[in-house]
Amino acid sequence: MDYTKQIQEIAAKLFTENTIDIFIGYRMNGFDDNQVPVLITDPKDISKLVFTSKSVFNLTNYLKQEHTRNKRIGLVVKGCDSRSLNMMLTENQVKRDKLFIIGICCEGVVDESGQKMQNCTECVIPDAVVHDELLGTPAGRNDYKINVDIAELEGKTLVERREYFEQIFENCIRCNACRHSCPLCYCTKCCIDQESSTLYSGSNTTSSAFHALMTWSLHLAGRCVDCRNCEKACPSHLPLHLLHKQNEKVIYENFQEHLAGVIPDDRGAFYKYSLKDPDDFIM
Amino acid sequence: MEAETKEKIVSAEKPEIVAPESWQPVIMGILCNWCSYAGSDLTGTSRIQYPPNIRIIRVPCSSRVDPWFIIKSLQTTADGVLISGCHPGDCHYISGNYYARRRFLVTKKLLNMVGFHENRIQFSWVSAAEGPKFAKVVAKVTEDIKKLGPLHLYKKENFDK
Repeated sequence: MDYTKQIQEIAAKLFTENTIDIFIGYRMNGFDDNQVPVLITDPKDISKLVFTSKSVFNLTNYLKQEHTRNKRIGLVVKGCDSRSLNMMLTENQVKRDKLFIIGICCEGVVDESGQKMQNCTECVIPDAVVHDELLGTPAGRNDYKINVDIAELEGKTLVERREYFEQIFENCIRCNACRHSCPLCYCTKCCIDQESSTLYSGSNTTSSAFHALMTWSLHLAGRCVDCRNCEKACPSHLPLHLLHKQNEKVIYENFQEHLAGVIPDDRGAFYKYSLKDPDDFIM
Repeated sequence: MEAETKEKIVSAEKPEIVAPESWQPVIMGILCNWCSYAGSDLTGTSRIQYPPNIRIIRVPCSSRVDPWFIIKSLQTTADGVLISGCHPGDCHYISGNYYARRRFLVTKKLLNMVGFHENRIQFSWVSAAEGPKFAKVVAKVTEDIKKLGPLHLYKKENFDK
């Protein structure tokens, strides 16, 4: 999967036609073969752009920032990124007519060790669902697979699960990088930042980490598209996908196979209901 | 002394924690104003006995219950949470409890995944006319949580009980 040339050509065309102010893509990080996101405003820098299977980050995260708001932007999206972009469009965070979207038919990206990312092995929609230009040949929709880690955890006892998750919450340093890296966490004031409150504390304790991560994952339930930007950003390397995949699994199995961001104008599983929703857990 | 207190109660999540003999569970009850709160009022006015372990909060609708109300309760004093609202189709705001139902399922499953026993978070539909049912629900929840023992999980430090 190498679309470097095509992306450079499209970016050059967009800048000469003056349809965009900023192009968001990937460049080599300069010291090894991994890549970092780059925001290009000068057509001279177009030669920096690359796109290979090492282009892991979700670039739609940069659309929520102050210096990109209300600008005309061109950007590259993979399958999962396009779903988060779809969510942002639905929630009126970006305007569609200000974007030029290069969609990629993604074949899966690899992490730093060269292994295919776990979310790519379980990917349901690898092709970009929203795009102005599509690169690659569409592969179509795959079957939904339950996350292997969730399936493993479900086989464990309650005490084992509690011990496992206690470790995760203990190791959290409350840096909030997961929240900053999430394209769908765009609130300018976040509820987990209220330091004066007796409940929400900025302090780095297990209970505050539990509180912050649980609140965060429940705010993203039915909206998370499993791009794993949070996990890539986490300095403690916490398996944050477990919380999201658990919610995603419950929502997929119980609420008419709902997946976030696939259909335009679908606001998420919690914004609609069905009379046939499961009721057996309620007395 | 009752006979049941002689048996040692251990916490379901942390077996190393044994409840003191005088331990009684604290249950957070979050009731919808239009059905369950009126139902609990009927239980009282009909002089039906129910366990005093429940502490009741009134909310306008069961969909007013943010999942973090549950997290907040479990992190502070509560050993369990009971949320009650109108029966499906009877919501004062037409569809509030349908939205709430979806949220409750996801919250319950997520909390169960991270290590809370599923009986710690319970839900019920109680209408304004179901006084006896409310007493039964509270009795059942109290009994369930008495079996599970005290909750010592991610409790807020220095929280004044």
